[in-house]
Amino acid sequence: MNDTDFMRYSRQLLLEDVAFEGQKKLLASRVLIVGLGGLGSPAALYLAAAGVGTLILADDDNVHISNLQRQILFTSQDIGQPKSQAAQRHLKQLNPGIELQVISDRLHGEALNQAVSNVSLVLDCSDNMATRQAINAACVTHNKPLISASAVGFGGQLMVLTPPWEHGCYRCVWPDENEPERNCRTAGVLGPVVGVMGTLQALEAIKVLTGIIPASGSLRLFDARQHSWRALSMQKSARCPVCGGTDAHPL
Amino acid sequence: MRIHFNDEPMQCADSLTLANLLEHLRLLKPGVALAVNQIIVPRELWEAQELHDGDQILLFQAIAGG
Repeated sequence: MNDTDFMRYSRQLLLEDVAFEGQKKLLASRVLIVGLGGLGSPAALYLAAAGVGTLILADDDNVHISNLQRQILFTSQDIGQPKSQAAQRHLKQLNPGIELQVISDRLHGEALNQAVSNVSLVLDCSDNMATRQAINAACVTHNKPLISASAVGFGGQLMVLTPPWEHGCYRCVWPDENEPERNCRTAGVLGPVVGVMGTLQALEAIKVLTGIIPASGSLRLFDARQHSWRALSMQKSARCPVCGGTDAHPL
Repeated sequence: MRIHFNDEPMQCADSLTLANLLEHLRLLKPGVALAVNQIIVPRELWEAQELHDGDQILLFQAIAGG
C-alpha cells in the first residue's frame, strides 16, 4: 500500500476488525459480480470504493432508461451502452487503483464455471432463477462463498452461503427452477429497496474477505413497508442435488 | 390446536402435516418456502413433519429479481 492508499482507505483502516491486515486481504481479493442492475450497482460501487483488488463485472445487457431509477452506477449518458463497460468506466473513476475486468456475455455453462473457479467470492446480483441456480451450483462445485440477494416490490431476500455448506445451499431453500411470476419488470421495485439488498451484499462480502464472521446460515427477509427483518435458519436438504445430501440424486 | 400462519392466529386439526396444511389452504405450489418457528423446513420434510400447538408457520415466495 502506498501513501494514497493509506489516505483512501483510512476510515476503514481505523477499524480494528479491518486494519492493515484486512485491507491487504481486500486488495488481494477477486470478486465476481454477476448482474449489474439494482443490486450490482451499489454492491460494485462499495466494493470498488473499499479497495477489493479485482472486480469481475458480468452483465450482457445494455443500459436502458428504465434502469436509471434504481441502477445508481449509471447515468443518462450511458443509455444504450453495455452495462459492463459503463460500469468499468465509472468504477475506474471512483478507484483507479483496482483492476476491473468485464464479461459482456451471459454467464452460463463453462464460462460461468471458469469465472467462478478463480475468484475469492461471488455476488449473485442477477435477475432470474435459472442464473441463480447455475451460480449456486458453480459456487458449490468450486467451494466459493456466495452472497445471494434479490428484491421485488417492497421485499428483499439475502443469503450468505459459505463452504462447507453446513446449513445447505441456495437450492436447499429453493428446489424449483421455475421463474417467480413477480419480477422488477412485471411487479416493479423501489430503488432504495433493491439498494439496501445490494449494499448488504457488499457489506457481507467485506466481512467474508477480511475475516469478520458473516451473517451466514440464515435467509434474511426484508419487508420495506414495515421496515422489518426476519432471520430464518437454513437447514441442509438431505435430497439436495447440488450440495450433496445423503439421499441426493445428482442433477 | 392453535397455530400462527403468516403472523395470523389460526385454528387447525390435530396431527396435521405441513403438506396437509398447505393443501388445505390451497397454497401447496412451486416457488414457495416454509419456516416453522424461524427454521426453514426443506421441501422433502413437508409430507412427514407434523404441526404442534403454538407453531409459527411462515410461508413465503422466492424472489429472483435484482
